[in-house]
Amino acid sequence: MAPVWAVGGVILLASGFGAALVPWLWARHRRRRVAWSAARAAIDSAAITRDAARSHHPKAAQLLARAEALAATGGGPDAARTAAAYARRADQLWRTAAGE
Amino acid sequence: MSRFLRAEFVRWVLLGVAMVVLVAFLVAQQQSAGVTYGDSPARDTLDAAEPAVTLPSVEELTALVDASPVVRLPGAVATWDAPRVDAVIGDADVRILVTPPGLDKDQRRQVYDVDNVTVRVLGTQVTGGALESMPDSLAGWRTRLATGDVTEQLIPLIARLLDQPEPPEVELPGYRAPTDAELSTVVSDLRSHGVHVAAGADFTTVPAQAAAAAFPDHDPLVVVLPTQPPGEPLPAYGPALADAFPDTPILVMYGAWVEYHGPHADEFGELAAVSFYSQYGSVLSRDHYPQENVLAVYLNRVTDIRYSGLFDRPLPYQPFDPLRMALPALPWIFMVCVLGFLALSMRPLVRGVVEPRMQQAFGGGQRRRVGVRGVAAHLAGLSALAVEMSMVTDRGSDPALARGISHLQAARTALDDQLPHRHVRRLLADAEAELDEAARKVGLDFLRPRHYLQEWLA
Repeated sequence: MAPVWAVGGVILLASGFGAALVPWLWARHRRRRVAWSAARAAIDSAAITRDAARSHHPKAAQLLARAEALAATGGGPDAARTAAAYARRADQLWRTAAGE
Repeated sequence: MSRFLRAEFVRWVLLGVAMVVLVAFLVAQQQSAGVTYGDSPARDTLDAAEPAVTLPSVEELTALVDASPVVRLPGAVATWDAPRVDAVIGDADVRILVTPPGLDKDQRRQVYDVDNVTVRVLGTQVTGGALESMPDSLAGWRTRLATGDVTEQLIPLIARLLDQPEPPEVELPGYRAPTDAELSTVVSDLRSHGVHVAAGADFTTVPAQAAAAAFPDHDPLVVVLPTQPPGEPLPAYGPALADAFPDTPILVMYGAWVEYHGPHADEFGELAAVSFYSQYGSVLSRDHYPQENVLAVYLNRVTDIRYSGLFDRPLPYQPFDPLRMALPALPWIFMVCVLGFLALSMRPLVRGVVEPRMQQAFGGGQRRRVGVRGVAAHLAGLSALAVEMSMVTDRGSDPALARGISHLQAARTALDDQLPHRHVRRLLADAEAELDEAARKVGLDFLRPRHYLQEWLA
């Protein structure tokens, strides 16, 4: 009967950890995808504004380039949020320059 | 949500029960270590007589052994059939040293320090080199302890030491019927005192307490004889007395050998003898014990056997113990709890990982669709608006429309990727803001999303 206790204990531990870990991993994965989805939307939006602005704006171009570099490298939700912030800032600058 | 909470509650309860069962099982393991079966009042202590033996020094012993092949120190009790032993020895140089029983530890070491000895006989304990020769049957112990005859131990030991084939065993001396004169003396003594002590026996009184514990129903009759002459059959008082005193326990002692006769003798006598002499045979041969001490320890052993549930005594009462009754079921309860916990732990995993995949593969369940329909309708409406707006845009509103369309595409991708609706709605809100800006710039109020969507959805 001894294996019952050992096997049972291992199953208890494993399922306890699993029940906590799997949803956590899943949520982290989803947070990351959501953050990158938002970041890519912001970058695309900024790129369109740049094409429409037709005026040269080095700071905005630099910000957008940085955001695109971050998106190309990948990373966690924090990196995605930083990239989104850069892209929005660049978008803002080009819009101001275009006089919208 | 309440279903989820209930499942979570059950899951923790299962874990708690599993832990309680595990702890109960472990505690029960600890308890079972101290289980005793019955509690016999008998305490085994075999008290030896005061050692009163004086031994020559090692040098003197060595000289004695050098001088003669067999040295018998004063007080030695062991005897043997000399012609048979000499036949085994033949021409070999075998020196035998025989000491009295009851040597203390230092004296025994002294005997072992005498180097030129082949076989040492301490009391009736026979040793040679690193070997000790012991009887292999009850009859062998009887011969050794009742008569001091060690022939059957000496012969195989010497044959072994000389690398000779062992001579065939001979039949040990058995019993003879006692003569009428012998029997009548014993019977009359037993009738008057309940005990017969023959001349030469080392015995004063029957240990009353031990006798009462061993035989609570009837005082035993005790016959004590001294060590009997070797090589001759023992007088069999037991069967004769059992006829004379029916239903009475009878103990007959020949030297250190105790025999039981009377009720249940067939089932009980041999069991008691095996149990007693397998434990005490060696010390009884080596040391000197007054016969009443031997009898006291034998009676204690009888009490132990009685308390162990043999010998028509009812088993000791064991109270009902629920833990002991439940013990075999505990592993199963534990396993059920573990499996339940495992199943309930799988729920979030199934919810979060498997179900979305299944929906993606097979078109999904009804529950998700309601939410999807709202977001998807919003997306479709805004897409239609973008198409209409693209026909009327000018240069100024173009970037806003393009950004709006880009956001709509992002929302579509997010929806396809099963991202949370909150995120999709945020993207749609962004797209709506851009389209609203574009419509404002064009100046067509009916293309502003709020108005357009109301009509589109209607």
